[in-house]
Amino acid sequence: MVTAGAFDGERPLHPAGAAVLLAAFERGWAQPGGLGEASAHSRHLLQAAREEIAGHLGVTATELEFWGEPALISPMALQGMPAFTEGKLIVGATERQEILALAARAKSSATLGVSHSGLIDHDQLLEEVESDSIVAIQSANIETGVCQNLKEISQIVGAMKAQLHIDYSASGPLVPLPHYWSTADFPAKSWDGPSGLGVMLINKSQRWANPLATASTRRSPESYSLPLVLAAAASLTGWLADSKNESERLRNLTTMMREVIARTIPDVDIAGSGKSEESLPHILSVSILNISGERLVNALAREGFAVASGSACVASAIEPSHVLQAMGILTHGNIRISLMHGVQESDVKRFLALLPGIISQLRTEAGA
Amino acid sequence: MGENLVLDCLGALCPTPIIQLSKAVRTMNPGDHITLKADDPATKSDLIAWARMTGNHVTVISETSFDIEKS
Repeated sequence: MVTAGAFDGERPLHPAGAAVLLAAFERGWAQPGGLGEASAHSRHLLQAAREEIAGHLGVTATELEFWGEPALISPMALQGMPAFTEGKLIVGATERQEILALAARAKSSATLGVSHSGLIDHDQLLEEVESDSIVAIQSANIETGVCQNLKEISQIVGAMKAQLHIDYSASGPLVPLPHYWSTADFPAKSWDGPSGLGVMLINKSQRWANPLATASTRRSPESYSLPLVLAAAASLTGWLADSKNESERLRNLTTMMREVIARTIPDVDIAGSGKSEESLPHILSVSILNISGERLVNALAREGFAVASGSACVASAIEPSHVLQAMGILTHGNIRISLMHGVQESDVKRFLALLPGIISQLRTEAGA
Repeated sequence: MGENLVLDCLGALCPTPIIQLSKAVRTMNPGDHITLKADDPATKSDLIAWARMTGNHVTVISETSFDIEKS
């Protein structure tokens, strides 16, 4: 049986985080802001976790805010920038839907096209960016694993002294912060930490104000759970230690998958170039002509492989993936493979051995 | 000048229009045209990807009507 989560991007909490979670509920239950010994202890735990996470992300502890609702981090980061009301919001065509929706409602906005390999058009960025612009970019896309050239984007935005928000949901700290940035979004899930917690980074050299009406100077609602913060810190430390070996191993596995699928299955569209500097090591998006994505996902599930899909013909989706559409990739027959740390090479090989037969069968059934 | 056929897939959901088109094109000769009518939101972008993958030519007539020439 294939390990749960091995292929589909839904990860269990990292063992290091799980180990501290229960103890954290026993030791870190008091409000860090309160009086008394228990609160003082919680404050100490919180500060230690903040410094541990900040150190791993390459920032100072004062540049880091915890959020109990990770999905709000990017929208709030953008709305807290001085230029949000009057300036131009520039987004990539493959950004998350809520960011595209913000751009659609902005007073002035631009959507940057992407190449067939998913890379943002830097010439268009150069044309669009102005000093009062906000640029919102993903470090990598969670559907396709395509990584943007943050170094060059950062140089372009920094040269104009515009503001740059980077969404690290897909890559986590696998991709380092560039030299110039304003805010960043790191859900703890991006390093196999707990759900229900995320980190907003606010560069100390940039202006930012909490867009939520508040009488205090707090930069977040501070409604997060301290035990989850402690678990997130432990998970991050453990995950980064694992990544040193696992990233290269997973890169070799997805490279093998890319080559074998292209060779053994006719009419497939594999997203991205697969180059190491342009892709995450563990994500592969494959679209297969004349196949229903839902039937393919179900057929793989019967063999023990849970995978995700960006196809509209999968029950949970109404519209086809805007990411695949922006790249000009086939949207039907899509499967998204996200290999977890520790995935067995034998499982990957069994998957590759099964896939051509499943595709052939489904195509025959569809009369294609 | 090739033969011009019409394939009506209005109301059909993805990937049915592309599968039906693939089947129809298989029986056509190079230079033949077929008009595909389809209103599934994935059809337009998938047709363009299909043309790139198969080497056939697609002309978008409208959001729901497409001319395909077999290469």
